Amino acid sequence: MKPVSFDYFAPTTVNEAVALLEEHGEDAKILAGGQSLVPMMNFRLVRPTCLVDINQIKDLAYIHEKDDRLHIGAITRHRDLETSTLVQQCNGLLLEGVQLIGHTAIRTRGTVGGSIIHADPTAELPAILAALDGEVRLIGPNGQRTISWRDLFVTFFTTVIEPVEICDEVIIPRLPSDAGWAFEEFTRRHGDFAVAGVAAVIVTDNNDRCTDARLAITGTAPTPIRATQAELFLVGKSLTQTTLDEAGRLVSTEVEPESDVHATADYRKHLAGALTTRALQRAVARCHSRKDQQEK
Amino acid sequence: MSKKSGEQIPGRTDYKWIGKSIPRHEDARLLTGRGTFVDDLNIPNVHHAAILRSPHAHARISKIDLSRALNLKGVIGSITGADVLERTRPFSVVATSPMQYYCMATDKVRFVGEPVAAIVARDRYLAEDALDLIDVEYETLPAIVDPEKAVESAAPILHEEVPNNIACHRVLSYGDVDAAFDQADFVLRERLVFPRYTSMPLETFAIISSYDHFGGGLTLWSNFMGPFIMHPITARALNIAENKLRFIVPPDIGGSFGIKTSIYPYLTLLGLLSMQVDVPVKWIEDRREHLLASSVQTDRVSYREVAVTKNGMVLGFRTKLYDNVGAYLRTPEPATTFRPIGNVVGPYRVKNLQIDANVVVTNKCPTGPNRAYGCAHLYFEQERLMDKVAEKLKLDPAEVRLRNFIQPDEFPYTTPTGGIYDSGDYPKAFQLALKTFDYEAMRKQQKTARTDGRLFGIGIATGVDPSVSNMGYLTVALDAEVRQHPDYLPKSGAAETATIKIDPLGQVTVGLSSTPQGQGHETIVAQIVAEELELSPDDVTVIDEFDTAKSIWSISSGTYSSRFASVGTSAVANAAKTLRGKIFRIAAHLLKVNVEDVVFEDRRFYGRETPTQSIKLSHVAGTAHWNPNDLPEGMEVGLNVTETFSFPLAHAPDQKDRVNSSNTYGFMADLMAVEIDPDTGKVKILKYASVHDAGTIIHPKILEGQIYGGAMHGIAGALFEQQIYDDEGQCLTATLVDYECPFATEAPKIDIAHIESPSPFTTLGSKGAGESSSETAPACVANAVADALSPLGVNVTELPLTPNRCWELLQSARGQTT
Amino acid sequence: MKLQAEHVFQVSRDVLWQVLHDQTRMADWIPGCDKLEEIGPDRFAATMKIGVGAIKGTYKGTVQVTEKQEPSQYTLAVEGNAAPGFVRGKALMKLQVEDGNATRLVIDADVQVGGLIASVGQRFVSGIAKQLTRELLANIEQSLKPETTA
Repeated sequence: MKPVSFDYFAPTTVNEAVALLEEHGEDAKILAGGQSLVPMMNFRLVRPTCLVDINQIKDLAYIHEKDDRLHIGAITRHRDLETSTLVQQCNGLLLEGVQLIGHTAIRTRGTVGGSIIHADPTAELPAILAALDGEVRLIGPNGQRTISWRDLFVTFFTTVIEPVEICDEVIIPRLPSDAGWAFEEFTRRHGDFAVAGVAAVIVTDNNDRCTDARLAITGTAPTPIRATQAELFLVGKSLTQTTLDEAGRLVSTEVEPESDVHATADYRKHLAGALTTRALQRAVARCHSRKDQQEK
Repeated sequence: MSKKSGEQIPGRTDYKWIGKSIPRHEDARLLTGRGTFVDDLNIPNVHHAAILRSPHAHARISKIDLSRALNLKGVIGSITGADVLERTRPFSVVATSPMQYYCMATDKVRFVGEPVAAIVARDRYLAEDALDLIDVEYETLPAIVDPEKAVESAAPILHEEVPNNIACHRVLSYGDVDAAFDQADFVLRERLVFPRYTSMPLETFAIISSYDHFGGGLTLWSNFMGPFIMHPITARALNIAENKLRFIVPPDIGGSFGIKTSIYPYLTLLGLLSMQVDVPVKWIEDRREHLLASSVQTDRVSYREVAVTKNGMVLGFRTKLYDNVGAYLRTPEPATTFRPIGNVVGPYRVKNLQIDANVVVTNKCPTGPNRAYGCAHLYFEQERLMDKVAEKLKLDPAEVRLRNFIQPDEFPYTTPTGGIYDSGDYPKAFQLALKTFDYEAMRKQQKTARTDGRLFGIGIATGVDPSVSNMGYLTVALDAEVRQHPDYLPKSGAAETATIKIDPLGQVTVGLSSTPQGQGHETIVAQIVAEELELSPDDVTVIDEFDTAKSIWSISSGTYSSRFASVGTSAVANAAKTLRGKIFRIAAHLLKVNVEDVVFEDRRFYGRETPTQSIKLSHVAGTAHWNPNDLPEGMEVGLNVTETFSFPLAHAPDQKDRVNSSNTYGFMADLMAVEIDPDTGKVKILKYASVHDAGTIIHPKILEGQIYGGAMHGIAGALFEQQIYDDEGQCLTATLVDYECPFATEAPKIDIAHIESPSPFTTLGSKGAGESSSETAPACVANAVADALSPLGVNVTELPLTPNRCWELLQSARGQTT
Repeated sequence: MKLQAEHVFQVSRDVLWQVLHDQTRMADWIPGCDKLEEIGPDRFAATMKIGVGAIKGTYKGTVQVTEKQEPSQYTLAVEGNAAPGFVRGKALMKLQVEDGNATRLVIDADVQVGGLIASVGQRFVSGIAKQLTRELLANIEQSLKPETTA
């Protein structure tokens, strides 16, 4: 199918882009990586009258760290995150999650800001944002605002971003240095949208008891969620296999997914639990090996 | 001169080129984007068509208003169902209860995606904008999608003339089925469900249509693959003389696997559309259209009963099946049901069988040929039951196959249904498969895995691989009395033609009209001709383009049912042999020696006794062109040989419904080991061995590619792909996100081995292998998964075995309801 | 697909029934409803903007109220067509008395989505359906404000 006609603009500064959005209103769309937008336009499911291509705004592509937080420019490509030594050093969870996004070809075009604002309920980056309590900065004609992930995601494919706003930066806190982490996802084929996914972060004390647990689940709700019941259950416990299995079971009772062509609700519930246990196993193993390394 | 059956090249095992994997001639252009596909053709002033499709599965069309659409600047023409009804005839079909099928919905829509109107505009974008401006009013009707429910009295009726939605019903009986069941020690029964999936060729349907308003000639460039029986069918539908309808197929087609046989309704639609305007009209089908409304295989529900002795000998079987052909029964359907009729017993010596075939219409996309074309459905049923026999009798499933195989000394073997198996050695091939798979070791591995509680299964599937369809087989869908009527014209046959010429400067060109879709015809033809003429394949140029106005063709022409390797290579080999004879006679004449004494070496001819007096090939060829007066008495000018090879045993069905539905029959045996992840239900293929007998192997790498592709296709149907409809007839899988075609990352390693039982009916002894394991892989996967789950008492009767389905099977075993 | 939802509103059952059947207020709570025009007894022509995220369509169709069993239940049938496809839904609306002068509205609906969005937008369909139900309940809550504060 072919898209409906549209006007095309390629601003070179954020201010220009915002001005264009203000002028064209709700019928304008931002073109970043285009990996989600363009297929929808080609199917005529989305019919913007104008596209504001922000790929020429060079200032929006960067990755740097400040005060233990990664600041990532909105048009940074997933592939750039994947190959960044900074990311490899300070955020293994982000690295593991990004590598699961589609295929390499898609990652060379898809952008961090684009993915998060698109808010696909099965996406990896929103789950990572949730696991690490990340934030997003939005810029509009009335200035900037920084929103935490909890306030950002409203429902399927919907965030609080106004039609006149652009996301210009994503902020992801560093993983604690003694944390173990893992991103576990289930897909039917390599590179598919996740049927369900779990981002897990675990911190333990010297007695091997859990002091902090984060479990962000994707694919089981309209937005990424934190499995708070399971997280509370884990804190203070010794992380035996039984405990991890129970955490998985708690997650599977907590989530309320939908059925669709790819999976039934019951199967998704079950998967969320099984993936939680697997993610926790790997996170705990990483936690141990980090401790071992620190002792050396 | 037409040869009925080829003399084999006697005792030739010392081939120089045949049997070698030379680099493919097609690859350079295909891999660098320089192929010539329909979309590459440069037809001046071409405009573009877009098709409006029904969003409803079943509805009456109460109003269509194109006025807003036609007012859009750049739109130059349109058609609706009213035009189609007025100007075309319904397509011919073979059925006991035919219905009217047109290229567009006329009064009712009967499947989501059915064409309702079409627009021609300056470009495709504009044409689609115009579609948005077409106003259609529908009165929705209840839809039915399940083939068993569709025949119940309360079901919605799709066609008034088909009151119970059964478009074709035949009960075919062979041998004495009742006696077989009386004598049996055990009778096993299963209800099996085979899914709807397609082939997903990379290139979708592509058509450029041009109508000459003065001469009345219609030219259609497309990626149609044959059989060319669709040419007269299209001409009749369009009410034009056959010699005014020109089909042209470019040298490259991006895959087809049977799907592009069913392009003819769109050829008709585009033809009609181009008659409304005075410019050529182009339509490149997009992927959504392809997944919704091109062609897929039937989904089938079958009830099979097998009568077996306590020693595991199958005495007979009965099958009652419901084949869901979608909203219209359209040619060449109901071939999914009847194409395998000759080989319906597979490789086994079953003598007694009955098939109660119900071909049912429902509100889904109409069906057509899809690689395996009925054999995947058949072998799924057959091989699941063979494993059930093993289970019941506590025999090794491999042993059950061995006990029932047709033996090598029985060939050519006539099956109870009229199939004539030309050659084969099933026990030998099967033993090779067991060895390649390391069967004993794998069973030991299974035992160990099972003690660890792992879900480890081994599956076996064997099948006879039919190739070169006999055009008569479909008529078994008609009652015998109908076929005996004096006005009835029987159908039969399978033929192919090749032309080889040597030009004035001594270069060799082969002309083919085989409509290949990536099978490598240019390469193997070069090998065959080089072999016979003692040249190198690089010396042979092959042009393979189809033009009904210029090519030599008949209704069986085309590349489908894996026919080229048998009938195509025979035509080529025979033509090469004739041409060889001709050039040797000219050389003998010019050298003034006897033809038996002529030697050809390094492109030069000389008499055995006088080696220093030699003449070049170009001199011989030159004589035929430049100096024909010096040719032997009676010989024609030039060096052109055209030969048609036709199978002698491709008769029409007899009065007892027996028909040799194919002309050559190969064999394959697949073995697979799988493990199921108990948490996710995902099936992992740990090992896969596949042995094939496709007769004489011409190009091992091409054959391997076909086997790999066929196997992957079968695995795709067993584990991933399905065209899914909801109960209201909405298709839920019209994008590649939802129609889950596996990627290279999902492909397992396959250990492939061969034996060669040359066919006595083809010149080189080769048989088709284009479908190969697409026929047996689904059964093999099903048997492997069933074996993995058997300790839990779970049965497998339905595909695909997605992770979700496997997990549900596991849950049912654990006594947990979902 | 089947959709089930329920919500307790802090008004009496009679009040809820009245509000739900008040033709002047229906446009307030029918999701995305721009225009509502009576074309027959208990039958309305409606324009509804339905969608999720960027996938929105303006659906033209009808809303019909049937099988009224005042004050405990009725059926609401909605049908709409737009470029992305069509939506057809039939919802059984049950009003149950709850303690403290409240009413539980139980919605049991059968929704059919067809056309383009069903064939290429399966990922969005369940989202849209769930969204519709949420919006419906939130809108009813909103339009009950005059009654609840009273």
